[in-house]
Amino acid sequence: MARSRCASLYIGRYMGQRLLQAAFVLWLASTLVFFALLLTPGDPAQALLAASGATPEEVIERRAQLGLDDPLPLQYTRYLMDLARGDLGYSWLHGRSVRHMILEQLPPTAELAVAATAVGVVLGLGLGVLAAVYRSTWLDAAATTVAVLGLSTPTYWSGLLAILFFSLRLRWLPSVGEGGLRHLVLPSLVLGFALSGSIARMVRSRVAEVMGTPFVLAARARGIPSRRVIFIHVLRAAVGPALAVTALQFGFLLGGAVVTESVFARPGLGRLAVEAIIWQDLPVVRGVALVGALAYVLVNLASDLAQAWLDPRLRALA
Amino acid sequence: MTKRSYAILFLSLVSLLVSQSGCGAPAAGGRLVYGLTLSPSGIDPHINASSELGIPLTSVYDTLVYYDPATQNFVPGLAKRWEVSDGALVYTFYLRQDVTFHDDTPFNAEAVRFNLERITSPDLASQKARFMLGPYERTEVVDEYTARIYLSEPFAPLLDALSQVYLGMASPAAVEKWGDEYQLHQVGTGPFTFAEYVPGDRLLLRRNPDYDWGPSLYEHDAAQVDEIEFRFFTDPATRSPALETGEADVMGEIPPQDAARLETNDDFRVEAVAPPGVPLMFLLNTTRAPLDDISVRQALLYATDRSAIASAVFHDTSPAAYGPLTAGTLGYDPAVQGYYAHDPARAAALLEEAGWTDSDGDGLRDREGEPLMLDLYLMGWGYMPEVGQLLAAQWMELGIGVNSQIVSYPEALEVGGEGRHHLMPFSLSSSDPDLLRKFFHSQATFNWAKVNDPELDAWLEEAARASDHTQRAVLYSSVQQRVMEQALIIPIRDYVNLNGVSNHVEGLRFDGRGWFPWLIDVTVKAQ
Repeated sequence: MARSRCASLYIGRYMGQRLLQAAFVLWLASTLVFFALLLTPGDPAQALLAASGATPEEVIERRAQLGLDDPLPLQYTRYLMDLARGDLGYSWLHGRSVRHMILEQLPPTAELAVAATAVGVVLGLGLGVLAAVYRSTWLDAAATTVAVLGLSTPTYWSGLLAILFFSLRLRWLPSVGEGGLRHLVLPSLVLGFALSGSIARMVRSRVAEVMGTPFVLAARARGIPSRRVIFIHVLRAAVGPALAVTALQFGFLLGGAVVTESVFARPGLGRLAVEAIIWQDLPVVRGVALVGALAYVLVNLASDLAQAWLDPRLRALA
Repeated sequence: MTKRSYAILFLSLVSLLVSQSGCGAPAAGGRLVYGLTLSPSGIDPHINASSELGIPLTSVYDTLVYYDPATQNFVPGLAKRWEVSDGALVYTFYLRQDVTFHDDTPFNAEAVRFNLERITSPDLASQKARFMLGPYERTEVVDEYTARIYLSEPFAPLLDALSQVYLGMASPAAVEKWGDEYQLHQVGTGPFTFAEYVPGDRLLLRRNPDYDWGPSLYEHDAAQVDEIEFRFFTDPATRSPALETGEADVMGEIPPQDAARLETNDDFRVEAVAPPGVPLMFLLNTTRAPLDDISVRQALLYATDRSAIASAVFHDTSPAAYGPLTAGTLGYDPAVQGYYAHDPARAAALLEEAGWTDSDGDGLRDREGEPLMLDLYLMGWGYMPEVGQLLAAQWMELGIGVNSQIVSYPEALEVGGEGRHHLMPFSLSSSDPDLLRKFFHSQATFNWAKVNDPELDAWLEEAARASDHTQRAVLYSSVQQRVMEQALIIPIRDYVNLNGVSNHVEGLRFDGRGWFPWLIDVTVKAQ
C-alpha cells in the first residue's frame, strides 16, 4: 500500500514537472516565433496590397489596421493575451479565423504523419535488425544501403518517381489529392521511406551493441533459441532509442510535410505555413508554429512515458 | 494466423487497391477535373487578389458588364445598358430584371449597392477589388433595377474593373449569413453554383439549371457539364503526369519542357494563352551608379539576347518582349520592336564611350578603379532565377559582372522601395494599360526604375482619366516609347499560359484577360 502511494506520488510529481516544462516550451516557442518574424525583411501590408494599385496612404492605413504600427511590447502582450484565451487571430490574407484554418488542415496532416511514421517504423526496424543480426554480410550492406538511400533521397524526387512509376506507368494508384486509403498509399510510402533511414541506423547500432552485452550472451549460453533472444531481449533494449528518434520525427511531421504535400497535391499544415510565410501572414505562421511546438511537446511526453514503461530500470525509478 | 494466411491477406489488400484504380478518370455525362496551379490564397473575390481564384469563380459570379476581346468593347451582362454622364463622374446601370442568385435572392439595384459598399468597406480589408474601383464614391439605388455609381474624378478603367470577377455580384443574403466564412459558401448568379470547397484540396462547382441570362459572349444559355472539380497542383513537375494519368482534364501552367512532350501525344493538346499586361521585364534603377548613366543602361539592352533566353528557358513557347506592355494588351505600340536589337558590339562601344574598360585584364570592365558589378535581385518564381542566370552569362562576355540574390516578394518590395538594387524583374497581368501607372509613375509602388519624369507622370494620369480610346492609345504610345528611349527596362518575354487539355474536352475558351475560362461552353466527350 505505502509503496504504491509513494510511487503514484512520484508519478504525479514527474507529470507535474513535465507539464510545467511543456508550458514553458510552448511559451518559448511562441515568443521566438513572434520575434523571429519581426526580423524577416519586408512589410506585410505592402506585400498584400502592392500589386493592387493601392496608394502609399492606403498601405499605411492597412498597416495601422493590422496593428503593425503599435509599439512592440503592446503587440506582444496582445498576442500573448489572445493566445491565453485560445484566440489565434484572423488571417491577414484570407480574413478567416486562424483556428478554423488550422483545424481544417490538421486531419490530412495527422493522417499522413501517422501513416508515414508507421511505414518508417516497420521499414526502419526491419532494416536495422537485419543489418545488425547479419552484420558484415551482404545483407548488412544491402540493408544499410537502402537506409542511406532513404535518408538521402529528397522526397520531391522520390515522390515524383513514385508517381511516374505507380501512377503513370502501372496505373495502380492515384497520384494526387486526398480522400481515402488509396490516396494515402504513395505519399506515406515516400515519406515513410525517408523516415526509415534514420530509424534503421539507430536500431542497427543499438541492436549490435546489445547483442554483445553479457545478458544476451548469458541468454544464449542458457540455450535460448537465437530468434527468441533477438525478439524478446535485444529488440526490447533497442526499441527505446528508436522510439525517441521516431517521436522527434513524428512531431516534426505533425507540423506539416510541405514537400510531400506539394508533390502529391495534398492539403495540409505544411502548405498552409509556406503560403503564410511567403505572404507574411503572421497570424497564420504563428498559429502553425504553435501547433508544431505543441505536437513536439505532446509526442515527446508520450515517448518519454512509453520509454519509462518499457525500460525496467526507469520503471523502478518511478 | 499462419504465414500463408498473412500472405493471402496481403495479396488481397493489394488487389483491392489495384482493382479500384482508374476511377480518377472522368465519368461520361459531364464531369470535368480542372487543375489549378496553386491553392488560391483566400478565394473571396472581393477580398483576395490571386488570379487563380478567378478561374473557378468567373463561372460562379456574373458581372455588370463583360469585355469582348474580339471587338475590344464592353457588352451587357447583369446590366442591360448603361450611361456615362458628361463629366464621366456618374455611371448609370439599367439592370436585368430576371436574375436570381443561387440562393433565390433576387438580383436588383440594392444588391449592386450592397456589393460595392461591401468591397469598399475598410472592415473587409480588400486586397484588390477596392483598388480596382479607383475614385469610387458611392452607389445610389435609383429604383429597383437602376443603380448609379458616383466617382470623385474620371476613371477610364472603371468598366474594365466592373467586368472582372473581383467585382462580381454576390448574394447579399449569403454574405450576411456567413460572415467571415463566406468564402467557403459563395453565392453568385453565374452558370455554376459553388457546391463545395475544401481549402487546399478541392473546389466543386455544379451546373446552375436556371441560368439563362449570360452575356452574348457565351455560346450556350446554360452550362454543358454537370460538375467541375478543381484541384491544386503546386508542384509544376506533377502537372503533366496528372493530366496523363487522367486525374485532370485541363491543367494550367504546364512547364515549357513538358508542354513540348505533351504536344507529341495524340490524346492531349496544349492551348497557349497570352494574358495582357506587363511582360517579364527587368527594371533598371536609374538613380544608382553606374545605371544612372543612360549609355550603360542602353548597353545592357544591346547586350541582351532575348531569343536565346526564349529558347533556352521557355523552349520557344513564348514570344520575346520589346516594351513595357505585352503584344496582346490594349494600347500596345508595335513601334517598341524597333528598339535595342541584340548587338554586343554596340554594347561594348557604348560602355567604352562611357569610360568602362577592362584596365586590369581581370575580365571585368572598370572605371576609376571601380569594377562594373551590378546587384541583381530575383524572386524565386516565374523563371526569374533561370533568366537571371542567362543574363549574367551573356553580360559576363562583355565584361559586366552580376551579383545575384534571391529574395522573397515582401523583401523585393522593400529592396525596390529603398532602391538598393541595380536591377530587379517583375511581371504582372492586367487587361487595362493603366497598369503602366503602377510601374512608371514617380509615386508608383513598382517604380523600381526610380524614374521621376513629370511628363511621364502627366501622360499616365491623363490616360487614366481619358475616356476616349484613341486619345488613350496616343498617350500610352508616348509612355511606351519614352520608357524604351530612356532604357528603363529590359523586356524579356510575354507571359504565355500553357494549358494542357485532354482531347475529350472541347469548347475551352478564355476571356480577354487570358486567365479566366468561360466554362459554361465546355463539353466533355463521353469515353
